[in-house]
Amino acid sequence: MEVTTAASRRPVPVIMKQGGLVPWLYLLPALIVMATFIVYPAVNTFVLSFQNANGTASASQTCVPNQPCWGIFENYRYALTSPIMRLAFFNNLIWILLMVSWTVILGLLIATLADRVRYESLAKAIIFLPMAISFVGAGVIWRFVYDFRPGETQIGLLNAFITALGFPPVSWLTTPQVNTIALIAVGTWIWTGFCMTILAAALKSVPVDIIEAGRVDGANEWQVFWSITIPTILPTIIVVITTMTINVLKIFDIVYVMTGGNFGTEVIANRLYQEMYSRFNTGRAAAIAVVLIGLIIPVMIINIRRFRSQEEAR
Amino acid sequence: MKNLSFVRLFALLAIASLLLAACGGGAVEETPGATDMTSVPGAGEVETAAPGAPATAGETPMDETPVSETPMAETPAAGETVVATEAAETPAGTPVGTPEAGVPVTGEVDCLDAQQGDTITMLYQWSGVEETKLNQVLRPLVDACGIVIEPESTRDQALLDTRVQAGTPPDIAFWNVAQLVQYQDQLQAMDELGAEAGSYPPFFVEQGTVEGKWVGLPVKSDIKTIIWYSPVVFEAKGYEVPTTWENLDALVEQMVANGDVPWSMGFESGDSTGWSGSDFIQDILLVTQGPDYVMGIISGEVPYNDPGVVEAYEIYGKWATDPAYTVGGAQGTLSTPFRDAIFAPFSDPPQAMMVKQSGFAGGEIAAQFPDYEFGTDYDFFQIPGAQGVQGGADWMMAFNDTPAVRALVTYLSSPLGGANWANAGFDLSANTAAQGNYADPGLEKRAEILANAEAFTPDIGDSIPGGFGKAEWTAIVNFVNGSPLDQELEAVAQAQAESIAQ
Repeated sequence: MEVTTAASRRPVPVIMKQGGLVPWLYLLPALIVMATFIVYPAVNTFVLSFQNANGTASASQTCVPNQPCWGIFENYRYALTSPIMRLAFFNNLIWILLMVSWTVILGLLIATLADRVRYESLAKAIIFLPMAISFVGAGVIWRFVYDFRPGETQIGLLNAFITALGFPPVSWLTTPQVNTIALIAVGTWIWTGFCMTILAAALKSVPVDIIEAGRVDGANEWQVFWSITIPTILPTIIVVITTMTINVLKIFDIVYVMTGGNFGTEVIANRLYQEMYSRFNTGRAAAIAVVLIGLIIPVMIINIRRFRSQEEAR
Repeated sequence: MKNLSFVRLFALLAIASLLLAACGGGAVEETPGATDMTSVPGAGEVETAAPGAPATAGETPMDETPVSETPMAETPAAGETVVATEAAETPAGTPVGTPEAGVPVTGEVDCLDAQQGDTITMLYQWSGVEETKLNQVLRPLVDACGIVIEPESTRDQALLDTRVQAGTPPDIAFWNVAQLVQYQDQLQAMDELGAEAGSYPPFFVEQGTVEGKWVGLPVKSDIKTIIWYSPVVFEAKGYEVPTTWENLDALVEQMVANGDVPWSMGFESGDSTGWSGSDFIQDILLVTQGPDYVMGIISGEVPYNDPGVVEAYEIYGKWATDPAYTVGGAQGTLSTPFRDAIFAPFSDPPQAMMVKQSGFAGGEIAAQFPDYEFGTDYDFFQIPGAQGVQGGADWMMAFNDTPAVRALVTYLSSPLGGANWANAGFDLSANTAAQGNYADPGLEKRAEILANAEAFTPDIGDSIPGGFGKAEWTAIVNFVNGSPLDQELEAVAQAQAESIAQ
């Protein structure tokens, strides 16, 4: 062959040659960090989930005679079948259904509306503000909103309203069913700003020419929104939905601060904390953690697939 | 299309955070932004100005007692104080505390073989005012022997667990009764360290003894089987302090008939919500079943869903869920913070007639109503008919045998140590020599009840390790909230079996 590159004719300095090893060297610091802080804890969690309360023996040792027993999977029996965990799964499901839909719908609504007003940045800043408050702080603030006093005087904002309207005061945080909704409202208050910000950025990226073309063809604003804006930003909406789903699966602080998981508000992550730090049962806590990862992974896969196909489409 | 890349950047960021979040969530290490109050004061650096100097930081009571299973603290507060003085400034053996306090106790601190400059490392859960009071108790020893105390204050039990597992435990830990069993092999025997068993009521020594080895010295203690009331209000309304359980029951009914709300109950205590209910249940059990039955629950002989326990819950449930019997009925019981519940019988006009709460309530009332006087505006009586007293103690345990540790153990179990404890007013001392030395009449009265108790039972929830205590609280919370009793007690019985099997 006549055609050879200039590089192949001249000898390449050794230092420029990249064998199989060099890329790994570049990756090494990141790999070490990942291995220490992510891989090792994850593997260890997995191992611990098959052991007893303090990781000294197999989980099968913790079986109680005359009770159902799953052998080495005993911690998983607790994590999957105990009444309190079933309640936690149920509550997490309600959290996902309500909080994800509320935050995304409200976020989209506010982003769309704010897009058309002059004080857009001020409006958005106000909605985003709760994000800046720690969840524990937010929990404490909302406890005052939901405060309930036996007797005449109500200092809670919500009870002040409804007693002014002539209804009896409600103990928002201790009444089953009502309390989970009350907690989800707090979560929505915090996270709507996050959804709004990302969706607002996506809205700005909808090409003006398509919208103009639609309007020229006689579409009204409603049709433009549903047939042009929504399909264009759909990938972002899905990213927001999956992000929120994962956030909500891990919801902990609000529940811990406001009800401590009592009164039927238990969620998976709070159970994990209780097993770990108040019952000192690392085995069960690890099993719950593994179950939680198991729930989160499919959502992540959806998210990554979506992202990849989007990249390929470009 | 700058905007498009912006969206992509956001999407990337979101995914990156997902990855991090998801993997991070799996790690056991994930801790919530809860409180971690580890303070490590520099050893021996700070010198307290004068014996018993008040820590100003600790004067104001916090809104909520830090989450501990049995809040026995008079006024827990954040803050850090350090002991450790080296020179013997005050003559050895002089009791500290206010001069007008109780019967004067004199005596020499016995330093044994402890040398000037010997150190004792300590781990305890006290802070603020409590820490100051402990310093006050230890000062004579520190002054006389030149022992340097290196304390660390934390509420994180994981710290103690890690240290012990790592083979570097503190010399001394002040912790809960459950740790005596947990660390029975690592702990030094108290009698070998020179502790005087005769200084304590036998039940305290028994409780501190695990499989024949006396491993824990009871220190700060409190009683729970008491009911607080307002003597002025009782007199104005013509009520009399009941002397039998039937009397109490009749008194409650009489109050309801008169339109007075007899009880103030409050469960709310953050993560520990429900403990004031389980305390009450145990007191009812002491009346209806007696102390042996309660100890049977602790040992596992009596399952927690035994008919006797069911009966106690039913008695309690009748009071705790009805607005005629307790402030606000079930929802009032569930959502009222335990501290607010203490004040209800003493407000003007009183919202309730009585509140069952441990001895620490006295300190709360005194702080809330500074011009109230013990004995007229507020007082307490022992629950009538109780065949024993429920109470608890913090336990001193020694992991190392050093001359300084021996001197400390000898000092605290001596009459002088007991008297100084009473002088400092650090709740009750388990040491019988404390009696007669309390400056506070309320403390003295509590000490008498403790000294004359026919039997003593520790808190069931504290005594069974693992998740039992929490399960007990959850059950009573759910029961008061309307959940079927048999189902709730079944869950606790299961936790009881699991915890005891461990």
